[in-house]
Amino acid sequence: MNKNNSAKIKSRRLMMHETLTSYAFMLPFLIFFIGFVIYPMIMCITTSFFDATMGREDIFIGFGNYKELFADKVFWKALWNTMIIVLVSVPVTCIFSLWVASAISKMPVVATSAFRCIFYLPVVTGSVAVTMVWKWMFNNYYGIFNYVGTATGLIDKPINWLGDPRYALGCIILILLTTSVGQPIVLYVSALDNVDKALVEAAEVDGATQMQAFWKIKWPQIMPTTLYILVITTINSFQCFALIQLLTSGGPNNSTMTIMYYIYYNAFKLYRYGYGNAMGVILAIIIAILSAVQFKAGQEK
Amino acid sequence: MKKLIALAMAMVMAFSMCACTVEKTETTTTAAATQAATQAATQAAAETQAAVTEAGPVEISLWTYPVGDWGKQEVVDKLLADFNAKYPNITVKVEYLTYTDGDDKVNTAIEGNAAPDIVLEGPERLVANWGAKGKLVALNDLWTADAKSDIYASVETACHDANGNYYEYPLCMTAHCMAINKTVFEETGAWQHVDADTHTWTTENFLKAVDTLYNAGYANVGAVFCSAQGGDQGTRALYNNMYGGAFTNPEHTEYTMNSAENVKALETLYNTNGINFDASINGGEEADLFAQGVLQMAFCWNAATHAGRTEVIGDSFEVFPMAFPSPNGTDVKLCGGIWGFGVFDNGDAAKIDAAKTFIKWACDENTLEAVKTSGFWSVRQSVADPYADNELKSVYGTFMQYMGDYYNVIPGWTEARAAAWNMLQQIGTGTPVQEAADAFVATANAAAGK
Repeated sequence: MNKNNSAKIKSRRLMMHETLTSYAFMLPFLIFFIGFVIYPMIMCITTSFFDATMGREDIFIGFGNYKELFADKVFWKALWNTMIIVLVSVPVTCIFSLWVASAISKMPVVATSAFRCIFYLPVVTGSVAVTMVWKWMFNNYYGIFNYVGTATGLIDKPINWLGDPRYALGCIILILLTTSVGQPIVLYVSALDNVDKALVEAAEVDGATQMQAFWKIKWPQIMPTTLYILVITTINSFQCFALIQLLTSGGPNNSTMTIMYYIYYNAFKLYRYGYGNAMGVILAIIIAILSAVQFKAGQEK
Repeated sequence: MKKLIALAMAMVMAFSMCACTVEKTETTTTAAATQAATQAATQAAAETQAAVTEAGPVEISLWTYPVGDWGKQEVVDKLLADFNAKYPNITVKVEYLTYTDGDDKVNTAIEGNAAPDIVLEGPERLVANWGAKGKLVALNDLWTADAKSDIYASVETACHDANGNYYEYPLCMTAHCMAINKTVFEETGAWQHVDADTHTWTTENFLKAVDTLYNAGYANVGAVFCSAQGGDQGTRALYNNMYGGAFTNPEHTEYTMNSAENVKALETLYNTNGINFDASINGGEEADLFAQGVLQMAFCWNAATHAGRTEVIGDSFEVFPMAFPSPNGTDVKLCGGIWGFGVFDNGDAAKIDAAKTFIKWACDENTLEAVKTSGFWSVRQSVADPYADNELKSVYGTFMQYMGDYYNVIPGWTEARAAAWNMLQQIGTGTPVQEAADAFVATANAAAGK
């Protein structure tokens, strides 16, 4: 009995020691996380209830910023544009990545690695450099798209891709897609490699078509990866900023204005910190709801 | 539990990117109290000036926007060496800003109580923004009777607020103008519409020249650029001058962009073949396109813009600087640029005093060198044309006589600028000019009244 008690105490001490050691190792990150993530988050929520700007005391206005926000036409336009970006880029990114990953995962290892590198290049290349190259290609006066379009007769005269509200958002989405697919492809290739091949072979022996084998065997096994990609791609799409900043500044006529850029514009151009933070809170709530829906849907599957 | 953690993580990720909170540690006093304190500090600093600068080494920081070569380290280092030869106890550390992120850097520094001691920029930032918010020291003591009589009256007006407090001590100025491709103008016969002696033209002749070029096959004669990010003085000067309009009232209290003259100018531009409202380019990009020969005229131009693009232009064509078109050609009012120094009130009398010493040295003692470094012209009537031996520069110097009202000090300027881009974008996509101009004025006046 005493031996048992002594063993339990030793075990508890060991656990306590291990737990403390673990927390000690985590401490530097925790300090960083609290200082640079949690604290700004709390400040963001707090400031959203104030009329906060540069050079004077903050004034508490309750839900004033939120009321103004919901009456702001540009905010709704920005929200609408953001939703379009999300609704187009998220499914396209996921489907295209899965298609590419399925194709290249069947190739020899060298070819798979080569394609992974190619598709991952835009991710590791500086976003400013990538964006500037796209800007040249879309240029109204000497861009390659207008050159090829007019040379082949596809278009009568040059199109002002980034200066015309009819095309600007489409251009932004196209660029976003090229920079978004790299990581999902790598993740899908890895997930597909981990699918139990014995199950796939067994299904094929039983007469399952390739499509049936994919939907019944592979798809359920890569579901967690899909869920992760969906959440990450959704968040990235909501937070599309650099492209807008470098290419259109939200124009023309707010046709490429996104929530993230509107937050930046209000907070750092007009110095309306409270108003910008109110938008940040709304954006976070929208992302949280969408993420919850995605998790729920993924869970049910 | 896992779901909850995952959801929390998603929220944290979302927040971490969009949180734009700025910690506000500074306690601001009322404007009157600040002003009184500033004046008292200024007076005290003036009284002890000599004593403090000779007392011991002082290190001050100077942040410069790219005002000509004031944005180049090798040039500024030489100036500082000259300054230190006379004032060895004052060390000036320089940070070079750009117009893309300069405002963000300065404002972030102000919020973090780490503002520079001196900043080199124009009245729209020094007087209308940071000065109005009580962040700068009043430089009334630098504005002696001699300085006031020597500095152009229009410049002096731009350097103080409504209460008479000076937040800028000016160094240099220039008149923003436009430029045309003389080679193409001559080839197409559009040159006949230009008064080559005075570098001016009437609105009627300007439109005839554009028409001539367009009919000669130049689809892109000029671009009313409106993607934002600067250069807006060019487009404003164009549509304000064409039929004698004004951007604000003379008191700088209200925007008047929706006047009949301005609306007529914008409607004319919109309906003129060869002039494109282009929301994909900004002022700098328009100047680049002109330098590359893509556009045949540039509305965002001045001596520095020209100097920075001489290599690109090369021998491909001859640039001919022009005043903006106006009803009779010579009643043009050009937008000016005025640059000078402001001193942030960092609460250290020794540093404020050292900053003033540097400013006096640059503007009063070493005027010609400091002005030439900017590539512009002196704000002082007593300083002769610093580029008398440079034919091209002298041409730009002649535009000074057309310097118009410096209206950029009107309140709400930042919001008004952004709204002006939006107005041009709307016009470019078919919104009736009067409607777009009315919307602009409503937004801008609301910002001015805040």
